[in-house]
Amino acid sequence: MSEVLLVLAFVAAVNPPRARLGLPEDERARPLPVAMLVGSVVAIGVVTGLAWWSAPLLDALEITPETFRIAAGLVAVLAGGWAFFLPIPAVEPALAGWRAGLWPVAYPRILSPEVLVLAIAAGTQNGVAWSVVAAAAAVGALGLLAVVPNRGSAARFMASTGRVLAVLLVVAGIFLMIDGIRDV
Amino acid sequence: MALHLSVLIVGGAVIRVGVVPAEVCPPVDDAAVRNAIDEAVQWIAAGMGPDGRYTYGYHRGHDRVSPEYNGPRHAGVTLSLYQTHALTGSADALSAADRGLDYALKGMITTNDFTAWELFGEVNTGANGLLLAGLAIRREATGDGRHDHLMRAIGRFLLVQQYPDGSVSGYWHRSIGMPEPTYATYSTGEAAWALVLLDRAFPGEGWGESAARTIDYMATDRDRREGRLSRLPDHWAAYTISDLRPELLTGSRLDYARQLAGYFGMRLRFEAQRRGDGINLALRWFPGPPAGVGTAAEGIGALWRISADPKLASLRPNIEERMICTAGFMVRRQVTAAEAAGAARPELERGAWFYRGYTQMDDQQHVLSSLLAALTLIESRKDPG
Repeated sequence: MSEVLLVLAFVAAVNPPRARLGLPEDERARPLPVAMLVGSVVAIGVVTGLAWWSAPLLDALEITPETFRIAAGLVAVLAGGWAFFLPIPAVEPALAGWRAGLWPVAYPRILSPEVLVLAIAAGTQNGVAWSVVAAAAAVGALGLLAVVPNRGSAARFMASTGRVLAVLLVVAGIFLMIDGIRDV
Repeated sequence: MALHLSVLIVGGAVIRVGVVPAEVCPPVDDAAVRNAIDEAVQWIAAGMGPDGRYTYGYHRGHDRVSPEYNGPRHAGVTLSLYQTHALTGSADALSAADRGLDYALKGMITTNDFTAWELFGEVNTGANGLLLAGLAIRREATGDGRHDHLMRAIGRFLLVQQYPDGSVSGYWHRSIGMPEPTYATYSTGEAAWALVLLDRAFPGEGWGESAARTIDYMATDRDRREGRLSRLPDHWAAYTISDLRPELLTGSRLDYARQLAGYFGMRLRFEAQRRGDGINLALRWFPGPPAGVGTAAEGIGALWRISADPKLASLRPNIEERMICTAGFMVRRQVTAAEAAGAARPELERGAWFYRGYTQMDDQQHVLSSLLAALTLIESRKDPG
């Protein structure tokens, strides 16, 4: 997977507009900054860890990276389909204070299953640095959207954009599967 | 939170079991591969009749030897035995192959233009291609030039079967003295490889250029023209490209090699996931037919020889991994002497690879050839010089 496609795949997997709609908010309809910061750092840390240990992890599971890309692609396709038909995620009851950064910001809003498998697949193919760059781009986009109030036309626009990214995730997933099938 | 985590865990388990079960690659060394090669040769030799025919197939459940026979498989096994002699120096393999060759030589027909092997009234292009490939490997391994005239004569037959666009007729129609306007699945690659080996034996006579024309046909038009929806994972094409003269290895031919490596790699990764028991049996079915696994491993083994080329170099580590992995599980799947000891016909079980109780000569042929490639790789790692 090229680096450009990797960044697009991570952005589509995190799906910032859709994730934004599911973040816990204060009375001004904006996410708590501390929770956002904690969630972002944890998410990028987890992606870094998974990318770093992707090779030994797959070795331990006795899966070749090429075969894992097929599985990662399948997860991405399913997740993309899910996000397309459910563009607004359910708002989860948040943990109190900064812990809201762990639940639900880091998981499940940012570190969804498709992001986790993508981190492993990218770690073996593109390396840790590019995986982190791609994850940071996606999380950064979510950070930018955090300043947008989740109301009215802005909310509708994010739901629509989320659907577009869901389609992009399906395409990226299909590409990953083909890549995994055609590789040696 | 509990619901989300439950879905994550259950989903992960489903993906693990259903999509990416473990790819099991038992450890293997050169001694084990050599032993498996010897055992396979013994299976072939032990089942030979006095006329030089091999045992075609054996069903152990019914203790029944198959009455079938055909030319491509006879020539293929003979070729594989010559490959074995060329790599290991096995006298048993050479002796069995020469007996198999003698059987074929009794069926040669000659016209003004060429000589070809006819079996059961059929002049099969693929059978002649494999016979010629075997003769070329024999010549290179033994230095014996007694069949040089015959090799060129069969080469001329293959050229008669080749159309200007590089496609190859599957059969020669004796009564009308022309190629039949039909294709056969593997004949094209078999003929092309034979021409490449003929070019190596007799350089400067143009055989390689003719083979290259057929490679280009296989790389571009073949699958559409011959009515296939997907590309044929043709191990004979892989042999053809890997033995082609370096100056004929153009970019498009190497691209084709790269595509073939992908097909073989996928097939072998999938095969490594098969254990044939429990839920794995339901999801992955039985370990695959040995001939099918062997052809993929043979193909990837052939491509390994040219994987130092910059255009294929990025594939080399994975190609090697697949070769070693496949050697590991195929050595393990071979029937051992101990396992065959109590059988009705131990000599037709020992050294063979069975698929659901049945083994056929090409099962041994293809796995044997793939193990030869793996042995070369394993030994090159032990002694890089």
